[in-house]
Amino acid sequence: MPVRTGRIACPPHGYTLIEVVVAMAVFGIFLMILGVLTVDMRRNEKRMPVNFMRHPQIDAVISRLRRDVLDAHGSNPYRETHDGYTQGSKTLILESVQENGGVQMIVWDFRNAGEVKRRAYNVGVATQWIARGVPEDFASTLVLQAVGIPGRPWGVRVTARDERGRIAIDQILQPRAHE
Amino acid sequence: MRRARGFSLVEVLVAMMILTLVITVSLAAFVERSRRLRQASEIILAYQALANEVEYRRRIDFDELETASPQFISDTALLAPLQPFGTTVAVAQTQTGIKNVLLTVRWNNGQREARLQLVRVDTGGDNLW
Repeated sequence: MPVRTGRIACPPHGYTLIEVVVAMAVFGIFLMILGVLTVDMRRNEKRMPVNFMRHPQIDAVISRLRRDVLDAHGSNPYRETHDGYTQGSKTLILESVQENGGVQMIVWDFRNAGEVKRRAYNVGVATQWIARGVPEDFASTLVLQAVGIPGRPWGVRVTARDERGRIAIDQILQPRAHE
Repeated sequence: MRRARGFSLVEVLVAMMILTLVITVSLAAFVERSRRLRQASEIILAYQALANEVEYRRRIDFDELETASPQFISDTALLAPLQPFGTTVAVAQTQTGIKNVLLTVRWNNGQREARLQLVRVDTGGDNLW
């Protein structure tokens, strides 16, 4: 009783030229499609910056920072120094309105690679929230700049670049009026 | 016996058809995934630029909205990966004291676009900043 081996038996004289050519053509088309797709993917990868906002910690940091700036208090909510911190491209110091209507001093510290600190000062008591495990590129390339229209409270522009220097985050946050 | 010499033509054709189907579906899924990832990244960039422009437009005096630049005032360096791209700003007064400011970013030869609309109300004062 013959048993199927599961493989196509090779004829004793081998394959014909036409069989080999057809097999190679099919294989070649398959390789070509794969090649085109890979090139296309690589091109997109080089062109598009890393999507930092997909990182949950970065999303949390930007969301919280946005809320603090939008809730900034008064016509000049920014302070030059506070509790040993100095306003700069890696540190943001501002007064922000709380949900209960009170005002608290907030310090955002982006100086350390891999983590972001937010310190809130309420009547002398400081509480700290730290986002750990943020990509090092984010904290090391992050820049805080003042931006806005003269005569109005200044906004904050947050930019960060990925490992290839492409701008991945560019957000302008402007304080809103509180009455 | 015939079986000892290999598979029949029909068996080989059916096997090739199934293989072709699997490969085609896999490649199509691969292409679609790549396309959607690229589009998602593009949208993230476009909406950051739109949100930034909104922050400028919400601070322009109500009476000067129409005369302001019909292109984005804010820095659009973020949109470099979408080049060539275009930005437009259209202002329409829907009723007295209310204006709609429509911001648009177009790229991929105009085939892709993202829009954001800002509704401005004449507060008669400092625009609430």
